[in-house]
Amino acid sequence: MKNKTLKNIFIALVFIFLFLPIIILVIYSFNTSKMNIIFEGFTFEWYKTMLTNTDLLEAFANTLIIAITSTIASTIIGTIGAVGLYKYNFPFKGLINKLIYIPIVIPEIVLGISLLSIYTLMKLELGMPTLILSHIAFSIPFVIVSVRSNLSPLITTYEEAAQDLGANPLNTFFKVTLPAIMPGVISGATLSFTLSLDDVVISYFTAGPGSNTLPLKIYSMIKTGITPDVNALSTIMLLVTTAIITVSAIYQSRNIAEGGKS
Amino acid sequence: MKKYIMLLMILILFTGCNNKDNKQIVNVLNWSSYIPDEVIDDFEKEYNIKVNYGTYSSNEELLAKITSSKKGTYDVIFPSDYMVELMKSRGLIQKIDKYRLPNRLNLNKIFLNQPYDYNNEYSYPFLSTIVVIAVNKDNIKDNIRGYNDLLNKKYKNNIVLIEDQRIVIGMSLLANRYSMNETNEDSLTKAKEWLLELKNNIKAYDSDSPKTFFITEETDIGIMWNAEAEIAKQENPNIEIIDPIEGHAISTDNYCIVDGSKNIDNAYLFINYLLRNEVSKKIVEEYPYISPNNIIQESNIEPENIFKNGYYVKNIGEHITSYDRLWADIK
Amino acid sequence: MKSNNKVFKYIFLSPVVIYSIILILLPLIYILFLSFCKSDSYGGVIYNFTLSNYLTIINTTYIKILLKSSLIGILTTFICICISYPFALILREKKEEVRNLMTKLVMIPFLTNSLIRTYGWIVLLRKNGVINNTLLGTNIITKPLELMYNNFGIIIGMTYTLLPFMILPVCSAVFKIDNNIIEAARDLGAKPLQIFKNIIIPETISGVFNGSLMVFMPAIGYFFISDILGGGKVMIIGNLIKNQFLTARNWPLGSAISIFLIIVTFLLVRVYQKTGGKLDDLGGM
Repeated sequence: MKNKTLKNIFIALVFIFLFLPIIILVIYSFNTSKMNIIFEGFTFEWYKTMLTNTDLLEAFANTLIIAITSTIASTIIGTIGAVGLYKYNFPFKGLINKLIYIPIVIPEIVLGISLLSIYTLMKLELGMPTLILSHIAFSIPFVIVSVRSNLSPLITTYEEAAQDLGANPLNTFFKVTLPAIMPGVISGATLSFTLSLDDVVISYFTAGPGSNTLPLKIYSMIKTGITPDVNALSTIMLLVTTAIITVSAIYQSRNIAEGGKS
Repeated sequence: MKKYIMLLMILILFTGCNNKDNKQIVNVLNWSSYIPDEVIDDFEKEYNIKVNYGTYSSNEELLAKITSSKKGTYDVIFPSDYMVELMKSRGLIQKIDKYRLPNRLNLNKIFLNQPYDYNNEYSYPFLSTIVVIAVNKDNIKDNIRGYNDLLNKKYKNNIVLIEDQRIVIGMSLLANRYSMNETNEDSLTKAKEWLLELKNNIKAYDSDSPKTFFITEETDIGIMWNAEAEIAKQENPNIEIIDPIEGHAISTDNYCIVDGSKNIDNAYLFINYLLRNEVSKKIVEEYPYISPNNIIQESNIEPENIFKNGYYVKNIGEHITSYDRLWADIK
Repeated sequence: MKSNNKVFKYIFLSPVVIYSIILILLPLIYILFLSFCKSDSYGGVIYNFTLSNYLTIINTTYIKILLKSSLIGILTTFICICISYPFALILREKKEEVRNLMTKLVMIPFLTNSLIRTYGWIVLLRKNGVINNTLLGTNIITKPLELMYNNFGIIIGMTYTLLPFMILPVCSAVFKIDNNIIEAARDLGAKPLQIFKNIIIPETISGVFNGSLMVFMPAIGYFFISDILGGGKVMIIGNLIKNQFLTARNWPLGSAISIFLIIVTFLLVRVYQKTGGKLDDLGGM
């Protein structure tokens, strides 16, 4: 019995460790004091201030634009890439298959500086396009890995059956393959979206003028002093991303449940 | 239905990439927390020119951004003295047509014609600052007069230093009575030993805002730019600002126009606007650096004293590798 | 029909092939190339073959930073393992729904920005932060503790930021162990420690390696955590590379350090594969 309490205490401690900083931030977003030191009183003021902080909102908008475009692009490239790499053989397939793991395993900073160097070499102007390109670069492998986990010989059998029945490859892909790998596509897209929202290191090296992202903005603010409107924005983002993740989790579990029934 | 979704996605993709409209712009790269938002907003309203404002936290970062980006990415930058010299020699900035800056006549002459850019061919001073020691007299009663007083073991973990390798190593060289730009290996070894002795007293390095350490009472002593110290003093009047007896580093940031700038007209308009006395006053009221304009400002440092015991950081060429290694050694 | 298929093969393959060559292979080759170049004193690159950058890394100053940084990485990894194993083993005894809910909950804090989370730690750890104020207020301590601007702060920050990368693979490995094996061992009189050593560890080792890889590599590279919670006093490899690229403007040296990191990564991945780990499991969150 005592043993069990100890175990539960351990689990509780882990969760306290994980949630403490977040809870503190949420609490301080309602604090009347500007300094984030002592809680003086309750207010919604910072949520209003946030809406007038154009710098912060611009950085937030940039972050969203980057996250949405890079997620769409990397999901499309990653999905058809995963299918292609699964279905077809070609020279250097082994090499490509190894290359796509590199962004997952090497430290982000190495990817960041190598992208910076190559943009410099190609004389690309640093800015939103390079940021989006960089985010696509680190997201695609995660999509590929996620989609690949849904590919199986069974799907190939279905595809062949569909083609035998006269479906063209395009139809086969959209009617047979895509529905079968949809859970992987969705979890890959969710992953790349959250990775993009949060990225600091790679953005740090590949951002240019007029392309401040929210993490970069917060990074510079941490040094000059963060105002509670940043806490407010983070609280809202936390709620929204939690909602997205929950919806996608529900969708996936329903898919699994349906798959189980048929 | 699916087609509409695809259409929507494509639309989002294009609006995302297609950020360029025909509005007039000027691409500015400046130090973080240097110009109040209000000043920028007023300029945008008055001239209907959008200011794309990026920031950096060291001259080297600025150099990196300029050299690693395509020509024409930036228009106006604010390099410090030695960086003006370096950028000049590498052709990264262009000559300034002084007649397009009528407001240059607002400047105090002692700030003009500095060794890094005689005759102000490539630059005009924007703001100056010197390194000072700030002490919170609430907690420290000792009479601190210079860098060597900071070696006292009492101040363990109580000092915040500006994160700038030339300034910190320069301070150590001054403390040992060398020139601030010494490159001799023996002197550098002495400087390193001095810094290692100071190390125990250092709580943190911070480049952007050492004042925060004072405001949150994280440390009681700081070596920082006088502007930072003035801000801390506004929060806590018991902070004393000391001009170190061993000497101080001066830094002057300057208006420069990047070579290959695509918005030269707007760049001149922007600089000339910032040269206005009332604009300069507004800037130093928010960020109390020393304005080179002929205006009266509340500051503990008289303009004449700035250049008396003050030294500019000079370009030391390949010796920077020794500085770089020393810096890694003391971390 | 045949040619049609060929067209589709190109459509399916060309984006991923172009991507991996332009955005992965080419940048890495360029970095490798740069690492054998020289830098001039103004931060430019001179295209002369030299090994001097690699010799510079072996210089004591930089070796010390590599070692210190690795130590921080190893400690972070070790602490993450020490939290994840008991966490997974305890959850293993719970019902499946509870288990799934708990592992989902682990992810929630990581949906906020990692910088804002790090900032949350500043609010907690600083001299007049929440922890010190609470402890001082309840008279447990009389002088504020030095909780940040030192190695302790960095390790807390790293552990916090990277913990889910360890918890998730360890949990999925521990949950997969067949209950029957453990019960059989118990019936045969095996003690808990023996079960842990002889069954649980071998069964989960690749999960732990997976986690270690995903914790250790970022822990030596996340310069923003050592900047913010270490007060710029401690340099990790991430700061070193960042400085070479942005401050010291010595791209060739920065590239050489990066190449060194890539080699370390590849070696660690080989070890991971030797323990039976699959590449596809890496980074699967």
